[in-house]
Amino acid sequence: MREFQICKRCVMDTTDSKIVFNEHGVCDHCLSFDRDILPNWHTDERGKNDLSKMVEKIKQDGKGRDFDCIIGMSGGADSSYLLHVVVKDLGLRPLVFHVDGGWNSQIAVNNINVMIEKLGLDLYTEVINWEEMKDFQLSYFKAGVPNIDVPQDHAFVATLYNFAAKYKIKYILNGGNFSTECVRNPMEWLYYGTDMAQIKDIRKQFGTIPLKTYPFSNVLRHKLYLRYIVGVNVVKPLNYFPYIKSDAMKLLEKEYGWQPYPQKHFESRFTRFYEGYWLPQKFGYDTRKVQFSSLILTGQMTREEALEKLKTPAMSDDDARQEFLYVATKLGITAEEFQRYFEEPNKTYKDYKNNETMFVLGAKVMKLLGIERSIKR
Amino acid sequence: MLYPRIIPVLLVHDKGLVKTVKFKDPKYVGDPLNAVRIFNEKEADELIVIDIDATANGREPDFQLIANLASECRMPLCYGGGIKNLEQAKKILSLGVEKIALSSSAIASPQLIAEIATQVGKQSVVVVLDVSKKLFSSKYECWTHNGKKNTKVCPIEFAQIAEQHGAGEIVINSIDNDGTMKGYDLHLAREIKSRVGMPVTVLGGAGSHEDIKNLIAQEGVVGAAAGSLFVFKGKYKAVLINYPNKNEKRSIISSLK
Amino acid sequence: MIGIINYGLGNIKAFSNVYDRLNIAHFYISTREDLKSATKIILPGVGAFDHAMGMLNKSGLRDDLDEAVLEKKIPVLGICVGMQMMANSSEEGTMPGLNWIAGTVKKFDFLAPDVKARNPLPHMGWNQIIIQQDSFLFNDLDEEKRFYFLHSYYFDCVDKQHSAASAKYGFEYSCVVNKENIYGIQCHPEKSHHNGVSFLKNFAVN
Repeated sequence: MREFQICKRCVMDTTDSKIVFNEHGVCDHCLSFDRDILPNWHTDERGKNDLSKMVEKIKQDGKGRDFDCIIGMSGGADSSYLLHVVVKDLGLRPLVFHVDGGWNSQIAVNNINVMIEKLGLDLYTEVINWEEMKDFQLSYFKAGVPNIDVPQDHAFVATLYNFAAKYKIKYILNGGNFSTECVRNPMEWLYYGTDMAQIKDIRKQFGTIPLKTYPFSNVLRHKLYLRYIVGVNVVKPLNYFPYIKSDAMKLLEKEYGWQPYPQKHFESRFTRFYEGYWLPQKFGYDTRKVQFSSLILTGQMTREEALEKLKTPAMSDDDARQEFLYVATKLGITAEEFQRYFEEPNKTYKDYKNNETMFVLGAKVMKLLGIERSIKR
Repeated sequence: MLYPRIIPVLLVHDKGLVKTVKFKDPKYVGDPLNAVRIFNEKEADELIVIDIDATANGREPDFQLIANLASECRMPLCYGGGIKNLEQAKKILSLGVEKIALSSSAIASPQLIAEIATQVGKQSVVVVLDVSKKLFSSKYECWTHNGKKNTKVCPIEFAQIAEQHGAGEIVINSIDNDGTMKGYDLHLAREIKSRVGMPVTVLGGAGSHEDIKNLIAQEGVVGAAAGSLFVFKGKYKAVLINYPNKNEKRSIISSLK
Repeated sequence: MIGIINYGLGNIKAFSNVYDRLNIAHFYISTREDLKSATKIILPGVGAFDHAMGMLNKSGLRDDLDEAVLEKKIPVLGICVGMQMMANSSEEGTMPGLNWIAGTVKKFDFLAPDVKARNPLPHMGWNQIIIQQDSFLFNDLDEEKRFYFLHSYYFDCVDKQHSAASAKYGFEYSCVVNKENIYGIQCHPEKSHHNGVSFLKNFAVN
């Protein structure tokens, strides 16, 4: 067992078992940020110019259509702020697209509601069949892997791309950004959610009903075919100007009656439980370390502040106990059965069929081409 | 002062929630448990959950589902669908539900209303009437089995019969306006409310807060129930649970001084 | 520990749902033995007065309950018909009540036709309570103090000092009563969102 070590600059540590430190005790996440992201991240005039060129093109292409782009909206800070900027500052006419995976929190639906009402936008919702989602999520719990967010995340990605392809929408805007996400979750924590080989294997072993309506999308289809053959463009506007999350949240609260979340990704009750309890308690993976490290590297949080926050668990015991019961009830199992899955030995993505080689190769190619900046590892 | 009740109505079909238009074309809107939880967090005045399969398929209420939903409710919950006898009614109330709704079984035998009301109290017995206008006439008729069976019973007369037998509330549901989101049948609301001395809840047709406001302006303290309004948003009928906040509520009931 | 009287009546599950969520230990009192370990008692009740009294008398808990409340002075909270049972009698029935707080349970009776038309029965929905006497039960309630009501009969106290809060429906009447360790509430705190949760929490922890 490796001795515990924590990065001197951010708060990533050896709970990420592949982490590497240099002679100064700085981790590879930080070094990758300096090397791969910083030189390619322009939030000054240059970024502004690049963005306005793109916006012009989007407007041109969208002339005569009901909307010129589509924005996936979870109700979280990133997507909400993106929507604000895109409409108020950039003058685009997006269709707001929401995927309901069955775990929306009150805050999430409130935030979507106030944003579309005040901005006068149209909303389109795709509701994933809950009985199928439930079975899919349960199969991941039974598989014992850490990346149980796959059924939810895969549906979000697939639905959006399928919709864009079906209605020939050329521009997908998303809230992905370096500012709050420059450090990425290690692969052993959250393996690729679009690896169909893995999904099929886990479904085959643990699924109990056929997924008749659940939206699948192969990574080759949405990363290559749709983008390069059909010509669907994915734009991340938050990377082209300074994006300070706390300022953004204040603005949203003030102007829209938007409700803040205690933690990133908590707009979904499932993700809240999963990242706040299941991952840290069962696997020792605390995704706050990744989130805080991003904020440290981009100057939005001090390392001391992060260390202080990490001293208390993301969810209080009382909260965790109640959510545990709720999630079990929602999944249609008893608390005892759920506890059993919690106590079973931890597995990794390597315990099931996977296309890791292809994904790693693909990621390298994307990086070489400059499409992706940092590599998940 | 007593406030009008603004009540979301959720329809259960095949374990999921659906919303119909004129009792047809059920559109899937998601999982009941999460929806109830959100309405609870939004502090809805009350909630009505109707299992639209139970009577049509001749099966019992899904007690487990009801128990799960009730445990999320810090607000009154009314359950309807497939209740045929006193035992079922008592069992449902014991799960943490305030009110049980009878429809086809009450129309078939009004005596059932009395039988249940004397045991559990009339305040917990709701009669739901699904009504539709007769063709080429201004008269209404009660339908059952999801609007498939015409009982030919006059809803106004039956509301009075139900009251005499000990019902504590009438929910009058317009099949013709269901899911159309173009406003309540205000005439029907007036007809019923002016003839009974118990609380009346109007359902069918609400498409905006304005529609509820109009109902309250006409009827005063009344139950204003809606399905589509609280689950759909905008021209694409995007599924998004919503419910008036404090300020919006204040404006909705502003006619009541 | 807080005990909820389980005499085959009343929505006891709704109370345990609230206390479960608050992580407050509680149990159901079904036998005389159970009653001994209760440090606080909730007396729920729905339906007709006589039916409720009959069920309580049949439960075999009646004498011990009287002793616990009147002699041991264990705090007790009656809810809805559980509150009405604390009176001497009710117009709804012929059986005597528990005689814990002097008063009669009366039916709302509005003579003027317009008042009658405006106030259908049962009194159903969200209404405001008006605090008449300070009590720890009212800690942390919000400005509006809205609670959910569902009843046709109300508690008319002999001694107005026993009325802790009132509500208006046609006229003003007592909706929370209190005498020493005995408390009663007409509306449904278990179904009154945050105000109701605060009320039940106050009873349990103070």
